[in-house]
Amino acid sequence: MAIFICLLCLIGMVVVWFRGSAQVAPADPAARDDVLVRLLRWAVSLLSAQREEWGQAMLGELGHIDGRVRRWRFAAGCVSAALLLPPWGRAAAAVWAMVAVAVGSVGLYAFVGVRYGLQAWDWVFAAVALVLLVSYTLGASVLLRSPRVALPGLLGGLLAALIWLAPGYTFYDVITSVTPQWVGLVQVIVVPLLVGVAGALWGGSAMAGRRIAQLAAFSAALFVFLYGTLAVVAIGARGPGDPGCTGSCNIGDRLGNNTTFYLWCLPLWTAALGWAAAAYTARVRSRPATSAVPVSFTAAGGVIAGTRDPMTVPEMTRPEATGRAVRVRNGRRTARRVLLWAVVTIIVVLIFAAWLWAPSR
Amino acid sequence: MQRNRPPSAQAVNVLRTLAADPARWRYGYDLATEVHLKSGSLYPILVRLADRGLLETSWEPAQGSRPPRHLYRLTLAGREYVAALPAPDARAARASRAGRAVPSPRTLWSEA
Repeated sequence: MAIFICLLCLIGMVVVWFRGSAQVAPADPAARDDVLVRLLRWAVSLLSAQREEWGQAMLGELGHIDGRVRRWRFAAGCVSAALLLPPWGRAAAAVWAMVAVAVGSVGLYAFVGVRYGLQAWDWVFAAVALVLLVSYTLGASVLLRSPRVALPGLLGGLLAALIWLAPGYTFYDVITSVTPQWVGLVQVIVVPLLVGVAGALWGGSAMAGRRIAQLAAFSAALFVFLYGTLAVVAIGARGPGDPGCTGSCNIGDRLGNNTTFYLWCLPLWTAALGWAAAAYTARVRSRPATSAVPVSFTAAGGVIAGTRDPMTVPEMTRPEATGRAVRVRNGRRTARRVLLWAVVTIIVVLIFAAWLWAPSR
Repeated sequence: MQRNRPPSAQAVNVLRTLAADPARWRYGYDLATEVHLKSGSLYPILVRLADRGLLETSWEPAQGSRPPRHLYRLTLAGREYVAALPAPDARAARASRAGRAVPSPRTLWSEA
């Protein structure tokens, strides 16, 4: 029952999130900044530097299309184009590596599941693991192409992975070792904060820091989960387990633990706290400088970076949009998102706790 | 390394549409409607054509609060490329009449 309530809360949060994203308050309908523009702006921001103009072209075109259905269809096509548009460069190798890791994990999971004859509940976890693996792979593949995100994100992921495996790097240790409290604190607090702060400093903005934290979370989750699944395959049903739990019960328990800790807790904590840390870092850093910097926008709402050539990509200034107003708006939006992420994280932890202490187990 | 793949039927369709009135600047959405392509297919084609130097782009200034708009038309090389394309469905017949092989899209694409 508790799990269902938590799941309902989770769905509610997602609904609130999307409703919040859809809220618009444009004085002029032509300058609308609705969910479609935001979605497309997000996709466009992931384009490589040499394709920025094409992203602005898509945004500009969307600003001239009327009609809900036509706008949706156009934006959906542009989002898919922006996400897939080459060049991918070196990111392609990293994406293929991610795909290989995810496919390897799924293959090992299926092998163990068939070999040891897992129970129905364990296959539910397998389905959850599959969905999460696919999501993280897709998310990572998109983020890897984002400028100034790939390298720090992968380094952050490596750090997070090493710390999450710190209690024992051998297969046997991965299965059996108990994480000391201080290591747990480092895993769930220190590393995510470190990744977020470093990401914001490296990327130069809260958005870049958030993406770096997300990429670190996804890549660490994929790698550690593969390692954990490999450990389960290598150790098999041997080693200590829960009282009265042997054979396939042990295997299912270990795979479930891997899914919960490595595919839920690790990425959620890392992404959520990293995001918060990145937002705070960027806020602290930008405080002294913002008053002197003029802010200019594309008409579609995107902030034009100072490095962009105004001759190739047009821009226009919104006189009413002062730096302070933008900062307040962005700050509120970030705060809302961070809060929502925090709540989602807490709910997931509650789901896990409810599952742990369910009387049927 | 850039690959010289032959243009797809959709790309050829876009080229022919632009060549119908080569001096006119076109909007992306209007072009997509005209060639019955979704934006997700059209923009990658436009990007490739521009990379090949067959398409030139420009920006229409913002109108009021509406954002600036991207415009497209064929370059001189693009017009020559389209002119060298065989007419639809007549390529094989023309080749047999002439008794020689027509330049393939792959060759033309590489030369562009």
